[in-house]
Amino acid sequence: MIPRLLYLPASIGLALLVLPLAGLLLKVDWPALPALLLSPEALQPLGLSLATASVSTVLCLVLGVPLAVVIARSKPRVAGLLRALVTVPLVLPPLVGGIALLSLLGRGGVLGNTLELAGLRIPFTTAAVVIAQTFVALPFLVIAVEGALRTAGVRYERVAATLGAGRGTVFARITLPLVAPGLLAGTVLSFARALGEFGATALFAGNQAGVTRTMPLAIYTAFNGSGVTTDQAVALSLLLIAVAVIILVLVGTRRASVLS
Amino acid sequence: MTPALWKSAANALLEANLQLTRGSFSLDVQLTLAPGEVLALLGPNGSGKSTVLDLLAGLATLDGGTVTIDGAILTAPGRFVAPERRAIGLLGQDPLLFPHLSARANVAFALRVGEARLTADQARKEADRWLDRVGLHDLGDSKPGALSGGQQQRVALARALAAGPRVLLLDEPMAALDAETAPFIRQLIREQLAETGTSAIIVTHDIVDAVVLADRVAVLHDGALVDEGTTASVLAAPRNPFVAALAGVNLVVGSVQNGAVVAPDGRIFHVRPADAAALATTSSILPASVSSAPRARTGSEQNVPAAAVFRPASVVVQTEQPRHASPRNVWSARVTGIEPGSGGVRLRTSGDPEVIAELTPAAVADLGLQLGSTVWLSVKATEVSAYRR
Repeated sequence: MIPRLLYLPASIGLALLVLPLAGLLLKVDWPALPALLLSPEALQPLGLSLATASVSTVLCLVLGVPLAVVIARSKPRVAGLLRALVTVPLVLPPLVGGIALLSLLGRGGVLGNTLELAGLRIPFTTAAVVIAQTFVALPFLVIAVEGALRTAGVRYERVAATLGAGRGTVFARITLPLVAPGLLAGTVLSFARALGEFGATALFAGNQAGVTRTMPLAIYTAFNGSGVTTDQAVALSLLLIAVAVIILVLVGTRRASVLS
Repeated sequence: MTPALWKSAANALLEANLQLTRGSFSLDVQLTLAPGEVLALLGPNGSGKSTVLDLLAGLATLDGGTVTIDGAILTAPGRFVAPERRAIGLLGQDPLLFPHLSARANVAFALRVGEARLTADQARKEADRWLDRVGLHDLGDSKPGALSGGQQQRVALARALAAGPRVLLLDEPMAALDAETAPFIRQLIREQLAETGTSAIIVTHDIVDAVVLADRVAVLHDGALVDEGTTASVLAAPRNPFVAALAGVNLVVGSVQNGAVVAPDGRIFHVRPADAAALATTSSILPASVSSAPRARTGSEQNVPAAAVFRPASVVVQTEQPRHASPRNVWSARVTGIEPGSGGVRLRTSGDPEVIAELTPAAVADLGLQLGSTVWLSVKATEVSAYRR
């Protein structure tokens, strides 16, 4: 059924996605790998990345699910406007996001000045890492959940209401379970996006070991060879790939068990 | 307008005065429903039937008017009770079972959030009793996706009734079912409404729904009620082309005797064998998958109300008494009216109820029929369908 001509670009596309990863595997200095991965230079950023990405994902859920509900249940014109606003950070280069966050929360920023008077400084702290990650990851969650909500529609919710269920009960026992697959997909996407976040973090949070140096920043630092070899960068990249694969496998089996 | 509906509100359970305008469509309907009564709302597509149900259930908002139940105001200017506080249930053509919950959990949900407010444990046990009532004792653990359309609708009926609604709104509940399943669900709805004493309004296209389920019929056309009365009277003398087309059948409302339907004037209508068997039982026969013991009994069928339905074209008109003794219903009557009909000439004939025969103009001329002529009418039993009421 498929025109044969399509196989050529399809193969090139797949090669473009897979070959670089294969190349990376070939460059790994396997005998030296355990030492490289167990070094503090590797473990510290990994721990920071997992911690900040987890907090960001929780924030995405707490803020994103309600936002998705509001958008999905708004009148079309309002929903369209809100959806556009949510999508902007998604299409924005993360570096621009970093500058925007600095402009708002940094020294001299609109909110930054107020916070500073209150004794709070956000840029170049771990909190800044979390804010930057949430900023770039939130749209993924909102869009996934909002799509699921619109697909599910309001018919089940209306039936639940005619049975006597209040809005809170309907939301917890009908709406959320109905959009569970979308919620799961959105959560995974935002966690992955938070884990890989580099540009906004670099500008807004900086690159201080143990405070704001997450995995992507550690890889960049190692690659630029400030004291370490590119072997370290390759090893750290391998670690990030491994984490991504583990997440995908976990989600895959979970989804399979939900479906069966 | 039918002010009669509005003023008969002396002991009404539900009283509604609904006004709504949406673009070029406007709705202005007055309805009442007595306790335990079942009202059929008939009308063509776009007449506003489903809108009426949405307004009653609180799923849409009125431009003007009021809805009260037991005297308590549900909708009035400046007052709107949310759907979940109305105790008005809704069963549509799509069962809309919650797909992530088992059949039992679907019913239990209604028992927990509905009038009963049971605990999780109680609700689970009570849900099993409800599933038993609708003949699905064994399927409590099944997810909706594993159930047939008819089974899903039975669960949906159990769920709707388990919530303990003061009024149940039925929106073409048989429309999505196949022709074999629909009669079973219809009988089940009839039984369960009667057993629970639930008042109901059923929106339908199907005359059989009105005949089987409803005490009273209201006809909606272009957003207004154009006819109202007992099912038999509205169908016997349709005042609206839609009802006339819908009621383009002979309807004999009577009682069951030996598997036949006896008309008020004593004429006996033999019916097709399958329906005769159904008439002879006192409970609906559920499909074979039902695990509970059949409650069907024979012998106590006297005075059970029933209706026989047959098409005017099935009535054979002769001037001599037919000789053959095939399983036919044969009687003599006088011609009381000759009118043009959709399929030729419609002959009205005397009796209670009157029977309409449809024949070609040539046949009318051949037989030399005129007003007052005495004719012999016959209908094959296999052409007569019957329903218990």
